[in-house]
Amino acid sequence: MTDLTADTYLPSEGESGLKRAKRIDRRRMLFWVLPPTLWFFVFMIIPYGMLFYYSLGSVDYVTFTPGLSPANFIKVFTTEPYLGVMLLSAKLGLFTAIFSAIIGYPLAFYLAFHAPETVKRFVYLLVIVPWWASYLVKAYAWKTILGTGGILNTMLIGAGIIDEPLTIFLYNQFSVTLTLVYIFTPFAVLSIYAQLERIPTSLIDAALNAGATRWEVFRKVVFPLSIPGILAGAVITFSLGFGDFVAPVLVGGPSSLMISNIVINLLGVAFDWPMAAAIGLVVITLGLALISVAHYLEHRFQHRL
Amino acid sequence: MSYIDIRKLRKSYGAGLKPAVDGIDLSIDRGEFVTLLGSSGCGKTTTLRCIAGLERPDSGEILLDGKDITYDQPSERDMRMVFQDYALFPNLTIADNVAFGLRLKRYRGRYTPEQVKRRIGEYLDLVHLADHGGKKPHQLSGGQKQRAALARALITEPDIVLFDEPLGSLDANLRKAMQIEIKRIHRQLGKTFIYVTHDQEEAMAMSDRIVVMNGGRILQVASPEEIYAAPNCQFVARFIDRANVLSGIVVSTEGGQTQVRLGDGQILRCEGNGVAAGSTVGVMMRADRINIAGGPVDGMNMLKGMLAERLFLGAKHEFVVDLAGEAGQLNVFEQEMPDGLGGEVMLSVSPQDVRLLAE
Amino acid sequence: MRAFGNKALVTILGLAVLFFLYAPLFTMAVFSFNDSNYTGLPFNGFTLEWYAKVFANEQIIRSFGASVFVAVGVVILSVTFGLPAAIALDRYDFPGKAWFRRIVMLPIVLPGVITGVALLSFYVAIGLNLSLYTIMLGQGTALICITATEVFARLQQLGRSTSEAAVNLGANELEVFWKVTLPNIKSALLGAMLIAFSISFDEIAVTYLLTGRENTLPMTLWSMLRREATPEVNAIATLVVVLSVVLIVLGFAISRSRNALADTGEAAL
Repeated sequence: MTDLTADTYLPSEGESGLKRAKRIDRRRMLFWVLPPTLWFFVFMIIPYGMLFYYSLGSVDYVTFTPGLSPANFIKVFTTEPYLGVMLLSAKLGLFTAIFSAIIGYPLAFYLAFHAPETVKRFVYLLVIVPWWASYLVKAYAWKTILGTGGILNTMLIGAGIIDEPLTIFLYNQFSVTLTLVYIFTPFAVLSIYAQLERIPTSLIDAALNAGATRWEVFRKVVFPLSIPGILAGAVITFSLGFGDFVAPVLVGGPSSLMISNIVINLLGVAFDWPMAAAIGLVVITLGLALISVAHYLEHRFQHRL
Repeated sequence: MSYIDIRKLRKSYGAGLKPAVDGIDLSIDRGEFVTLLGSSGCGKTTTLRCIAGLERPDSGEILLDGKDITYDQPSERDMRMVFQDYALFPNLTIADNVAFGLRLKRYRGRYTPEQVKRRIGEYLDLVHLADHGGKKPHQLSGGQKQRAALARALITEPDIVLFDEPLGSLDANLRKAMQIEIKRIHRQLGKTFIYVTHDQEEAMAMSDRIVVMNGGRILQVASPEEIYAAPNCQFVARFIDRANVLSGIVVSTEGGQTQVRLGDGQILRCEGNGVAAGSTVGVMMRADRINIAGGPVDGMNMLKGMLAERLFLGAKHEFVVDLAGEAGQLNVFEQEMPDGLGGEVMLSVSPQDVRLLAE
Repeated sequence: MRAFGNKALVTILGLAVLFFLYAPLFTMAVFSFNDSNYTGLPFNGFTLEWYAKVFANEQIIRSFGASVFVAVGVVILSVTFGLPAAIALDRYDFPGKAWFRRIVMLPIVLPGVITGVALLSFYVAIGLNLSLYTIMLGQGTALICITATEVFARLQQLGRSTSEAAVNLGANELEVFWKVTLPNIKSALLGAMLIAFSISFDEIAVTYLLTGRENTLPMTLWSMLRREATPEVNAIATLVVVLSVVLIVLGFAISRSRNALADTGEAAL
């Protein structure tokens, strides 16, 4: 490993000061850049390369045959269920992002503008706890609430509203979306709150002083400035919703299988590695695109506060 | 050859951007107190950072005692800097901040722990912080923080101490006190101080020599007295104590005197010549050299104007006098108050106190 | 005046959101004490039987140990590679930086299953047997971004001046790191370690594909959930939630950085 003490960088014979300075810069930079780069190369780039290799081949029963065919990629976009599942995942991911932002906003707003200092810390903790509480547990909790023998049905029957347990609550896209929104709302709260907290009080005072009503202050000042926080949260909640495979299995039905479930089925049941690899690469590409778009939006909407 | 020689220093922060430092030459002697003065963006801080090695110049050289140090590592240079935002280490106590340099590898073995301790004491004393060694930076006031930063810079006894607007975030009274402090320490230690500020009063008060910069270039290098009395261009004249600068056209030069016609037709005589008749020039007069006169005074320039505004400055009054047409305005310092605003006043100024400036 | 808007309305809406967040968790915890073989109403009476069962269940205890083992390894990996990545991103311009940043961030938006598939094909290709270590490598790679983003955000906030001051005082690169950089990012680093630990402890997508004979706690829980669940599952779930609460409160006290967790999302952009 490179020694970073300056004393070891004695100029070699005839080396100019500038060359030496650049050599030192390069060594220092490599000291920090190289280890993570090598790690990512081995554990991300090479595996993605393997995916690419598999995706171009085909499978006969359980035997893999290498090849150079784009057929699997074409299948992702032309053959059902792949395209449909991809769109469904995107739809549920989008719902997750939108609804967790809508539900999370009031709490974030309360935290940023109304909670007294002492309460604030406590409420903040109350938001973090369900965020870090086991993810499986949270999905399972909704199963016990929404199921035919679940709490909701029992209560409705007990209240005399219905005679038979309703099955409409569970095993459909609604229950999957509800569960995902439930799981990711705390994240939306934290992300929006972090942004709201940055809005200087003087801006609100100035707007009120200029004669704006409270609703106008919100619509014209606070909300526009909170957009980066909404977006930051939405990018994460969308991605997590899009790639989820727990909720569809626990509370979803056959109509709500998502992309991660399909990939697992391809591997475990169908042994269709090439297809799984092709889907994986498409998703990776979408992920990279999402990061770039998010980065762009962040700079587009973020004002220096 | 001087102690520090800066030659054709150039630094730009990006291709296509106007260079922050645009090819400057400057020599500094050992033990001097030199101030780089200019408004923000003039290149003074960049120059200082190049000297410290925190910025790498695009071209040019920096020589220390004749040795090229342009590309040396900042940690290899025997010069310490006092930063505008103090840059104290928040995790260390004031004493540990001050001792930071002594405990580094490059000073290891040079001092015993007892010596280190004694030196911390000495330098905390020097900046009047003896009772604050055990505190964390956030427990100190702005002035105390800056004194701690100064002690930290001085403790390794560098030959050169650099100051990057060190008093910029202090209030006026504290500033004054710190200026006196820094000047005292300079005299006491006899080290070379290079100081950056945008405050011309501060520069005048403290420096042996002032380097006035604008747009990445040096306009004038001279002692405070000379800069005040004889600025070499209109920018410097205006920048230093807001001198009155009017423009006019040279009418004639004779007998060591030049006559200049101002925009409102009035003629002003000034000492010196060398500018051809018909050329446009600037004429400079200091506010404290202009008097409000009751009537014509022998040998003096007399100017007529309208009293436009009056400001009370405590020890004196400042008057703003408008000349007719587009000729301009003059600021005048006086002890006493003349008649009401809006009236005509007569001003007198000696030809010796009017300087010709190139455009 | 910081407060604006209708205070009563905002408070009620905020409380409603908190209710939404807590009702399911609370329900689940309540039924872990239910003296019944099923999770659900009616509530037959209070019992600790299910907790006794959990602690007697050797598989659960073993998988708990496995989860801790994996999580510790993941934290070490996340710090070892995330910290240099953060410093590199903060301090240097190097060729390929934009791609470096994308790769660091990718696991945040990438479904765990895809990360799992990619690593699985890599392991198969080099003939690596699946074990707790393969899980650790997989999760660790995915969670480098946690340390990288947390520390990067702190470094940006910190600015350059203290490290410039250190260099100016004569510190070499290592001294700057140990004496100035590290002490000032300590709380962010601890926060990141805590987050990485708790994500790893809860992780299922990557683990699902990379697990060998030994299972982590979420995997054990997962197989129990897919069978008909008894209140024993509620008991484990409640214990897991309690454990996270303890970890969070601990981390909160240590890092004192209120926005640490939310910053992860922010910094991801």
